Amino acid sequence: MSFFDIFKKKKSKDVAKDRLMMMLAYERAHTQIDNLDEMKKELINVVKKYLNVKDIHIKTSSNQDIETLEVEILLNK
Amino acid sequence: MPEVITITSGKGGVGKSTTTANVATALALKGKKVIAIDFDIGLRNLDMILGLENRIVYDVVDVMDKRCNLAQAIIKDKRTQNLHFLPASQTKDKTVLNKEKVENLINELKKDFDYILIDSPAGIESGFEHAIYLADKALIVSTPEISSVRDADRVIGIIDAKSKKAQIGEEVEKYIVINRLKPEMVEKGEMLSTEDVLHILALPLIGIVPDDEEIVKSTNLGEPVALNKNSLVGEAYRRIAKRLEGEDVEFLDLKTKKGFLNKLKGFFK
Repeated sequence: MSFFDIFKKKKSKDVAKDRLMMMLAYERAHTQIDNLDEMKKELINVVKKYLNVKDIHIKTSSNQDIETLEVEILLNK
Repeated sequence: MPEVITITSGKGGVGKSTTTANVATALALKGKKVIAIDFDIGLRNLDMILGLENRIVYDVVDVMDKRCNLAQAIIKDKRTQNLHFLPASQTKDKTVLNKEKVENLINELKKDFDYILIDSPAGIESGFEHAIYLADKALIVSTPEISSVRDADRVIGIIDAKSKKAQIGEEVEKYIVINRLKPEMVEKGEMLSTEDVLHILALPLIGIVPDDEEIVKSTNLGEPVALNKNSLVGEAYRRIAKRLEGEDVEFLDLKTKKGFLNKLKGFFK
């Protein structure tokens, strides 16, 4: 930080960048998967063959260079 | 190998047609045989930016529907050798294009041209999908403003899903063109910088085009600014053409000259 920064308000471009990054993080996390429902059903069927499945949650998220698909399978106790 | 390059952006009014016209002109000046096609059905504008609006007889839809042959519809620019243009149709029916017709047309053009530049319509609907379908490369035009960058990000996310290349396991090469940059605002911290935009969009840069009144003047006249050898914006476009040709050229130095006060401030940093 320079001597003059003490008197500076946050620059409007920094606000713009922060807002954009927030918005895009949210929007990118909702990357559409075609036929998500279908995939869900098939996954449930596969896992069901071996385990007692209660429910299944799928979500996508992305972080800089990688995109991940998180699958959470809830089992019946 | 002929190359299909689609110029797109998501948001409207950020300079897609101006970019198409100037990059096409700059490539033609380098001796390449170029055709620019306007895919903005119903709202054509590339014709006026190129200054060729008075020479239109047939359009791209006439060709696709075989009301004329391709040679009849292609307009050859008289000022710029090697530059050709295929106008959009003014029909209100946006559903006139379909993938098969687009593919036939592009394959036909590939026999004759080195570069096929497609000016995509704004938005992410069918017009955009047809424009991107056969692209080898995509130039994504964005101004350093939040709405433009956000829409560019959306478009980047769906280019591969809509392209034929992706269907055969390849990828469309994507590049960013930053348009209407105001260096003095960037220096004051009041405008997103090139680095900011690239950090967000995470794609390689192919051009930085400064905001310049010359663009308005050249559009008024229908003479692409890339023809003006003394123009800085013209040079920005000519450098994009060089980079498309695989040349390694520096980006324009757009720093404003620092005044006395700013220099003084610099001492305290």
